[in-house]
Amino acid sequence: MRLKLKLILSSLKMFMRQREAILWSLVLPLFMVFLFSFVKFDGVGHVSLGLVNHSQDTTLVSMLRQIQMLKISSGAEGEELARLQKGERALVLVIPASFQARGNDALTLYLNAEKVQEAQAGKMIVQRALDEMIFQQNHLPRHALHVESVNSRNLSYIDFLLPGILAMSIMQGGVFGVAFSFVILKKRGILRRLLVTPMPTSDFIVAQVLSRLLILMLQVLIMVGAGILFFDLHFVGSLFNMVVVGLLGGVVFLSIGFALSGVSKSEDQVAPLANLITLPMMMLSGVFFSRTNLPGFAHVITDFFPLTYLADGLRAIAIEGAALPDLYPQLLGLAAWAMVTLFIAVKAFRWE
Amino acid sequence: MNHVLQVTHLKKHYGDLLAVDDVSFEVARGEVFGILGPNGAGKTTTLEMIETLRPLDAGEVVLDGLDVRNEPRKVKQRIGVQLQSSSFFDKLTLTELLLLFGEMYGRHSDPLALLDEVELRDKAKSYVAQLSGGQKQRFSIAAALVNDPVILFLDEPTTGLDPQARRHLWGVIKRIRTEGKTIVLTTHYMEEAEELCDRVAIMDRGKIIANGPPQELIQQLLGRGFKKARVERLANLEDVFLNLTGHSLRDE
Repeated sequence: MRLKLKLILSSLKMFMRQREAILWSLVLPLFMVFLFSFVKFDGVGHVSLGLVNHSQDTTLVSMLRQIQMLKISSGAEGEELARLQKGERALVLVIPASFQARGNDALTLYLNAEKVQEAQAGKMIVQRALDEMIFQQNHLPRHALHVESVNSRNLSYIDFLLPGILAMSIMQGGVFGVAFSFVILKKRGILRRLLVTPMPTSDFIVAQVLSRLLILMLQVLIMVGAGILFFDLHFVGSLFNMVVVGLLGGVVFLSIGFALSGVSKSEDQVAPLANLITLPMMMLSGVFFSRTNLPGFAHVITDFFPLTYLADGLRAIAIEGAALPDLYPQLLGLAAWAMVTLFIAVKAFRWE
Repeated sequence: MNHVLQVTHLKKHYGDLLAVDDVSFEVARGEVFGILGPNGAGKTTTLEMIETLRPLDAGEVVLDGLDVRNEPRKVKQRIGVQLQSSSFFDKLTLTELLLLFGEMYGRHSDPLALLDEVELRDKAKSYVAQLSGGQKQRFSIAAALVNDPVILFLDEPTTGLDPQARRHLWGVIKRIRTEGKTIVLTTHYMEEAEELCDRVAIMDRGKIIANGPPQELIQQLLGRGFKKARVERLANLEDVFLNLTGHSLRDE
């Protein structure tokens, strides 16, 4: 027991003194969240509208100018259409010379077919402005729409992303951390040197696993803590549940790391194998983007990825406040993976 | 008990290759015993079987009254081992490493005393990566001494070292000998064997072809009417180098 404790303390000490290890497992994930926090994925910010007015009547133009969502630039017809083609405008509205507020002229609206969302939104705004003008000109009665704003939990991209990145760094720490460090221990004869001491080999493995799981808990705490403090993370779940799911995922990925270190002789061999396993999961397990847009077959396959279970589980706890019983599919999935990968690790791991 | 190590009819195959072929020798308590031979002679394999790192194909090894085959863990408690290419964890200081290795034997080691033994006290807070080749070898001897072993095994301790570092290490090994430790070492340097060993076994192609004190082996050779083609010089080039660079003054 005492030896295990000393071994755990020693490996934590080594981890803390290793700048690269800290960088990869703690700093880099936070940095990724930081970078992505600048990306705005939600909604259309504004609609760029080119305005060409051939008439003397400015009723419509001044109405349009009051709409904040429109970014209006006016100019000659040829010039505006050229800008539309270059993609600088989402739409160009051409008001004919005969246009009058009380009339029934045909206005032409050119849409940028590449900016579908923006152009559609713009089209509705322009249509709405025309209707409004007619209402005003004819003093027609209309229904009033009362608007009240309600504060909802507006989840941002960070709320989606941070649990995903946390899952990813648990995966990377397990697979790369273990695989690389054991290949190096083996290659440099350090494991061999340990074999001539009377220390039970299991003590060493147990200590390695436990110290890495401790580091994993630290990752969970730091990511969630930094998320709440700096990135406005809407964390509503329980940290304890995060750690439980994280640890279960950790066992899966540590086992994969041990198995890889067993079949590789050098860093050169272990790197491609580790990438082969982790890259597809990183891309397809819903770490950065929701898997809803994946084609059907890919959706079904990625459902069973261990990283999918881990990311979905952590995310459900973080932003929905899911309790562990709610997460039985994820927990079962991870437990099944843990059994399979542990079995492979025990079979594949070699001391020499 | 006179012999602390008895090796009898030891054998090891690697496929068709007989790496160790019926090797027998014994080592007396307090003796420095050298296994001498070219690369691939089977020296390391022999040591590794004694050190419990490799299973024995045939034969018997009795170490301090323990059969290596039956009681490997007890044997490990009583031996100190410097492997040919042993290295240690990064990012632990020499002191921390010695304490950790002590724990592996269930004892509280005294790092500074061990470092004194190999003249590395001033490096107590360094990492192994910051040591020179000779210092690394001396440290790995210190690590092999954490459990106050009955026998110390050194596998080619001076291979790859420059002459000054080699002499320095010889000094350390001689001092450990005067403290009464039994030492078994392998080398392919004749000079080293002559300098350090009470007795040597010469090994070639898996077999021991001669065994005895160095001077005795030389006398036997001369007795067979051997004459050197060229008379040995009183000094050789290595002596010149050492003399000019002042090995005893400079720490490598």
